[in-house]
Amino acid sequence: MTRGGEVTKSMNAVGAACLVVVMTLSAARSASAHHSFAMFDNENQIKLEGTVTHFQWTNPHVYIELDAMNVYSDDKTVKGWTIECANPGILNRIGWKFNMVSPGDKVTIIVAPLRSGEPGALLKQITLPDGRVFANGGPAGPALMQ
Amino acid sequence: MATKQAIVSARAAALLALSIALPAYAQQSDDSRSSETVVGVPDFSGTWERYTPPRNSNAPPAGGTPGAGLGPTFGGSPPPLKPEFAAAYEADVRSRQEAERRGEPIPSVNAQCLPEGMPGMMIALFPMEVLQTRGQITIVQEAFSQIRRIYIGEDAPAIADAEPTFFGHSGARWEGDTLVVETVGIKESVRYRNAPHSANVRIHERMRMLDANRFENQITVVDPEYFTGPWSWTWTYQRKPNYKIYEYVCEDNREFVDPETGAQRMRFRDDAAESKE
Repeated sequence: MTRGGEVTKSMNAVGAACLVVVMTLSAARSASAHHSFAMFDNENQIKLEGTVTHFQWTNPHVYIELDAMNVYSDDKTVKGWTIECANPGILNRIGWKFNMVSPGDKVTIIVAPLRSGEPGALLKQITLPDGRVFANGGPAGPALMQ
Repeated sequence: MATKQAIVSARAAALLALSIALPAYAQQSDDSRSSETVVGVPDFSGTWERYTPPRNSNAPPAGGTPGAGLGPTFGGSPPPLKPEFAAAYEADVRSRQEAERRGEPIPSVNAQCLPEGMPGMMIALFPMEVLQTRGQITIVQEAFSQIRRIYIGEDAPAIADAEPTFFGHSGARWEGDTLVVETVGIKESVRYRNAPHSANVRIHERMRMLDANRFENQITVVDPEYFTGPWSWTWTYQRKPNYKIYEYVCEDNREFVDPETGAQRMRFRDDAAESKE
């Protein structure tokens, strides 16, 4: 592993520690959101790896679109996914910035996919190209996998 | 000579314009917008969020039953509906719970980008800002940029005169250290906990500082047409120091109601759909 890799690894550890704090804080509050999350399958989260094609910082939700493959699936087809995030207010409060994600970024995300089978999902956790890890705020709930 | 006359008429015109404008300047002082410091009464000014009690294994969970995506926590017990309305309400609650379990949630007003209105906005879904002057308290809720105005020293209007709105019309007076607020004129479509109410609904609030960094709001909803008695609960807020309220414009709501199932679904951007192919 290169020195760069070690830096990335340690940043991941910091990110993971931050995530734990965020998760602990969020556990203290019950669900609150713009809408119900029942259309997403929280119990069967998946991990996607791919390239951001569009980033939209708007209310009532922030959206990330990416061309990605399902890391733990035998099917390695790259598909266009639309990922729903919390809103700018919630994300700002947990450290996101409006320009933190850009088209072309290689990201790894953990999501709860739509139950309908469409390529849409609710974000649980994103790992940015620099290794920083961000959750999606209390209402969306934590990643249940790594 | 002609020039002099022109100057004189120009002056006359200017004077006339001034005299028309003057009555506006000669108005009485406006207490609601006074920059004078609030004196002799509690000052609720600041940025607040719902108070989260310290975790204590002996204490019951904070705030009651979690809502289905409608807010941090609902307040109080379910609405004290008269028997003739209770059955329909309970059936509605059950159908919403079942829809949640099926993964086909019934959209809330929030999912349609409508404000919560009163009393729902006081749940403080997101942080809220309180601006207080001598004659007015203005509450700004970050979520959906909701705003309500409470006029201190005024009575709430008669219900017959109160145009139905999302946040109603609020008058208030001081009772010692407590601000007693009455609100009428809530649209019947504005529902808290999905409970029905009539045009005659009244919301009473008693706001007081608990200490320098917390204030409580005792809320009582009265509706003689729908309720068997008062519906009461208390919300407590804590300061969120130095927090600046974010803009919230519902710019691109992708939640939509499926016309066939009535369930909430997620719309994809047209470009995203192309990229899916």
